[in-house]
Amino acid sequence: MFEQYLNLTYYDIFFFMKAIGMTLWITLVSITFGTIIGFMMGIIRCSHNKLVSAIPLIYIEPLRNSPLITQLFLTYYGLPVVANIVLDAQAAAIITLSLNTGAFFSVLVHNAIKAIPHMQWEAGYALGHGKFSNFKNIIAPQVLRLLIPGAITLYINQLQVSSFVSLISLIDLTKAGHILTLRTMRPFLIYGIVFLLYFAISYPLSKLARRLEKKVAFNF
Amino acid sequence: MAMIEVKNITKAFGDLVVLNNFSVDFDQSGVTVILGPSGTGKSTLLRCINGLETVDNGDIIVDGLSVQNRHNLRDIRIKCGMVFQQTILFPHLDVLENLIISPVKILKTPRSEAIEQARELLDKVGLFNKEHSKHNELSGGEQQRIAIARAMMMNPKALLLDEITSALDPEMSTEVLKIIEKLAADGVVMLIVTHEIPFAKRIASRILFLEKGSIVSDSPTEDFFSRLKNKNQRIERFLQNIHH
Repeated sequence: MFEQYLNLTYYDIFFFMKAIGMTLWITLVSITFGTIIGFMMGIIRCSHNKLVSAIPLIYIEPLRNSPLITQLFLTYYGLPVVANIVLDAQAAAIITLSLNTGAFFSVLVHNAIKAIPHMQWEAGYALGHGKFSNFKNIIAPQVLRLLIPGAITLYINQLQVSSFVSLISLIDLTKAGHILTLRTMRPFLIYGIVFLLYFAISYPLSKLARRLEKKVAFNF
Repeated sequence: MAMIEVKNITKAFGDLVVLNNFSVDFDQSGVTVILGPSGTGKSTLLRCINGLETVDNGDIIVDGLSVQNRHNLRDIRIKCGMVFQQTILFPHLDVLENLIISPVKILKTPRSEAIEQARELLDKVGLFNKEHSKHNELSGGEQQRIAIARAMMMNPKALLLDEITSALDPEMSTEVLKIIEKLAADGVVMLIVTHEIPFAKRIASRILFLEKGSIVSDSPTEDFFSRLKNKNQRIERFLQNIHH
């Protein structure tokens, strides 16, 4: 098998590197946008006004309860038909993954905010903090600590599900594996490399999540 | 002029009227202990003064500022520091950061100045060596002493203490009460809700006895424990129950 690996050309390796770049690019951009969207939606979900707090559910629930691949096809193949919006594969992938990440992230934000005991808010107010100052200086740092491990787990998951973008003709790591398999006819070797590359990115992140979880953990 | 004027306030939670057309003044000096059976509106009174509860009717004026005007709440809360029954340190911060975060962020006190003040207060509450501890490394009594120091960091004109020893064992309770006595000796104005009668006797200059949201008696401490307790059956019964 090692000899076979040596038979891979520089072009193949370059092809893989480019594909890793695409996977990382799609993932990083979409988790960045998704995090921003998720924060906004999660905060709105915490509104005391029941109507306002329910609004994000219109966005969150459909995305959390449908397969990502369907969402991706709707964006890429569906939008041109119903709204005459034609997106290239990369834009469709980023938009879909961002919205999908945002939906899941908003739930993490909502849960983290709700996990802060009411007395923490009151203690801040009693010291003279206004709503904004209380949230920024007292509540948000606690929310972030509660959020970090779950967020990293979500990011790892989004990296892995980003492989679906290969189905809308984007050449990410999975698609590159598919193409090279067809060319070399060595599926075990090629998909083994793909597997290892995903693992090499994900595993350190999951270790980091576990370390951070221990480091930032606190009891109320 | 009184520092805190409570003017005909009514506060209800649903159908339960906790404070009923309640009025009282608190001067700019001395320690007032508020006594009374549970559920009689003592804590609600402190929370209304601090603006943590809105009043349904009437008004509370703190140093000339009305609590009904929500824009005044920040200043009112700075003037009236509050410590709660449950110890509520900010768990993500160590002791020193717990103390300095509010003066630095709200009063814009320079950090170095705030640290200096915090260390002085930690010394006063006997926890100078704990400045880098986290809340879960402290006993309940220590946490409560930190909470008192944290409230004092804002240089309040009055301190509202809401049953701050009721969740502590007797030993820890004693630690905290000693600190309160020390602060009282320094002339800090305090409104204290407590069931610690011997402590009230030692520290208070005035005793307010509440029942069902109204004042049953408002008198100097000596009068309360000598004259009134024999005349007022309700107070006598309350004191006997507390002692037993």
